[in-house]
Amino acid sequence: MNETAITVHDVTAHYGSKKALDQVNLTVPTGAHFALLGPNGAGKTTLVNILCTLRRPDGGTAVVAGADVIARPTQARRSIGVVFQDSSLDDRLTAWENLEFHGLVYGMAAKPRRAMISTVLELVELGDWTHEIVRTFSGGMRRRLEIARALLHRPKILFLDEPTVGLDAQTRQRIWQYLDRLRRESGLTVLTTTHYIEEVENADIVCIIDHGRIIAEAPPEQLKKDHGIRWLHVVPQDATAAEAIVQRFPQAQRLSGTGLALPAGDDDRTDAFLAEFRDRLSEIRFHPPTLESVFLSLTGRELRDRADGQRDADRAAGRRGGRR
Amino acid sequence: MSTRPKHRWRATAINLGIVAALLTGLSFLPPDTSLADRQSAGVLKLCVPPSFPPLVTGEEGAPGYDVELAGAIAAALDLKLSLNVLPSIGQDYNPRNWFLTRAQCDIVGGGVADTAQTRSFMQTVPTQARTGWIGISPTGTMPPPGSVVAVLPGTSGLNRLALSGWLRQQQLRAQLVRSPAELSRALTSGAAAAAVTERFLADGIDLDQTGFVPFWLEGEGFTSFPMALGVWKGDQTLKRAIDAAVSDLEESGAMERLRERYGVDADLAPASTNQTPPSAVSPLE
Amino acid sequence: MEAMMLLRGLYAIWLREITRATRDRAQLIGGVSRPLIWLLILGVGLNPYFRGEIYGEVRFVIPYTYLQFLFPAVIVLNIMYTSIQFAVSVIWDREFGFLREILVSPMPRPLILLGKVLGGSTIATIHGGLVLILARFADVTLSLQQMFTALGLMFVLAFGLTSFGVILAARVRSFEGFGVFSNTIILPLYFTSSSVFPLDPALTRTQMVTAYPEWLVFLVQVNPITYAVDALRGVIIGFNQFPPTYGLAVIFGMAAVFFVVALIDFSRS
Repeated sequence: MNETAITVHDVTAHYGSKKALDQVNLTVPTGAHFALLGPNGAGKTTLVNILCTLRRPDGGTAVVAGADVIARPTQARRSIGVVFQDSSLDDRLTAWENLEFHGLVYGMAAKPRRAMISTVLELVELGDWTHEIVRTFSGGMRRRLEIARALLHRPKILFLDEPTVGLDAQTRQRIWQYLDRLRRESGLTVLTTTHYIEEVENADIVCIIDHGRIIAEAPPEQLKKDHGIRWLHVVPQDATAAEAIVQRFPQAQRLSGTGLALPAGDDDRTDAFLAEFRDRLSEIRFHPPTLESVFLSLTGRELRDRADGQRDADRAAGRRGGRR
Repeated sequence: MSTRPKHRWRATAINLGIVAALLTGLSFLPPDTSLADRQSAGVLKLCVPPSFPPLVTGEEGAPGYDVELAGAIAAALDLKLSLNVLPSIGQDYNPRNWFLTRAQCDIVGGGVADTAQTRSFMQTVPTQARTGWIGISPTGTMPPPGSVVAVLPGTSGLNRLALSGWLRQQQLRAQLVRSPAELSRALTSGAAAAAVTERFLADGIDLDQTGFVPFWLEGEGFTSFPMALGVWKGDQTLKRAIDAAVSDLEESGAMERLRERYGVDADLAPASTNQTPPSAVSPLE
Repeated sequence: MEAMMLLRGLYAIWLREITRATRDRAQLIGGVSRPLIWLLILGVGLNPYFRGEIYGEVRFVIPYTYLQFLFPAVIVLNIMYTSIQFAVSVIWDREFGFLREILVSPMPRPLILLGKVLGGSTIATIHGGLVLILARFADVTLSLQQMFTALGLMFVLAFGLTSFGVILAARVRSFEGFGVFSNTIILPLYFTSSSVFPLDPALTRTQMVTAYPEWLVFLVQVNPITYAVDALRGVIIGFNQFPPTYGLAVIFGMAAVFFVVALIDFSRS
């Protein structure tokens, strides 16, 4: 088996004049759980679209499971399973029919196909819903069905674009347990993209991406050690207080809502800050180094500080990418 | 465990079945009132010429094939047949020149040929009678060029121009005769090597059937054609009822008996004097 | 083995279209409501104006009743609607993301398109074939052979028109736009296809009773649907206004040309 599952070399992509990916280089070893972390619009979905051959890169090369995505897309497609950010189920068919369609399209023979359908449906606990029309499913159920579908043809590499949105903790755990087993037993490589920190804590390698550039790539513990500092999150009592803090401490970062975050690595400065603004704060909290704080210190922004409009624009871009 | 659905095609079958049943049901809606109108009047009006033997004879005992057939149809529909004699019918085969109206006739008989020309005005109910030019000769084929052929044109408007053109083209000398008796004399005396006449006149010719074989003539501009009863175009319910009645009559053998009685079959050898095996009939048709 | 795998995929794509179309009862009933309107309402309503009243005063001298004349055209109308509306299914796949599920699969693009078009043409043929149930109503009698020839022609016609629908779908962005769009295409094509009136209702030159202005004759003659209707009329009621080979050439030509164009479009997308 190949040592590297995915190799990305100097990949560049544009949407019009906007640069979505800027000379991205990546190597994902076989059997790894690789997480792409970044805010919406960072270029994660574009990269996934390139890797699953839906979009051609404007420059550079990408090799997936030993197949170049530009030169031999069909071979690459055979080895990958994809869970897209938005549903790609046919909601007028039943769960079983969606899976049957998938199995047939991947050329699976009747016996292994039917057996796998039962297996994956049990995995995502949709056994009772086998013959229900997908339209009646909740968001979480659809998500589970899509994950089941992506695993149906036993791919070598699984792409999960914002995978576990809308899943309850129990199901999420079950699915990850199953994926971990597949990784150990058959060398499945999992690549997830997310803007949820919780999703990547268990990853082998976390790759932080912003504005189409990779700004860090390491195991999560390594990242926390290298870039993580303690942060002080405060909520000022009013806007004038917030204004005063920002003017006094320019390194303060505005958080979503009314909060502010200050790097708290330097105890003197923290003391000075607290001494000065103690009475004008309604909330004070220290945050130990987390991936979130890593992200904050690397990009100067919170992960979830994007407006919904941006997210929609991102979706539209992803959809256009899919059509191209 | 197999999760394969047991009735995968059930919804499809049910939906298609419902739609098909709906359409089938609707296809039984009557498209017009033509039959209902006749039934409320209790009368079926048949328009015929004064005489077009053997389809219409004007005789009391044997009124003609078309008239008797129309009578049987009317009886099957529980209607009284009313005969409407119009001299304009049957002068030629283009019913456009017959000056008929819906008020006068429900069905038309006695000289309605089942051709595209007729069908452009009327729908036709084929009666299994057939007419056209026929030849009569000892061999069952037309004689060699140069021979004399006796021609009895009759009165029903078969295309005489086309016939004489065809005879000229075959380099046969046509000799007009005025009656069946004259025709039969010309043939038996050997004055003519063959004779040409209309199919319906053939049965009236008194000939020694052992020596002479009738056969259909087909050429450019004239062919034999089936005869029919005419029904007005668009009278669908009436037409369907008549079609059903005719098919019943055919099944019961009543039509066959009528055809034999009047000698209007497409099969040329008359039953009464049939001594010629059918294989001797020219396959020209 | 490879071929078997591709056949499975082709079957899956075809089957999905069939399942979607036949599961929706409303869609099926909508599909047959058109022939009902055309045959039952228009055909019966206009029947008195096309039937014989007085010999020599009839204008409609085609040797068939108006219902018989209309019948094959209604089949074509049904196929046109269903085929061109198939574009909605293509747009749906694109807008609701299902297209990506197909595109990341190892199925080659041409086979994906073929599967979809075959599915669409099967549905259109079913919708056209359902009209045949009304043959009795229109007083059209069909032998088994006629029926299968007609269904075959209907399928090839549907194949061409479905490909045409796919071509349209590539150029139309929204569902709403497509509804208006399809009507502005289908109805003019249908009405200028000599479907509801014969181009020359006379049997011979001397009988010529109606002459249409040249622009209308021109429109009818350049409309490919004219020849499709004519071919089907030839099979179903045995009446041809044009040489029968024209219709066959147009039907098969449309299927080939439109599919190739759709393929180019689809591969580029």
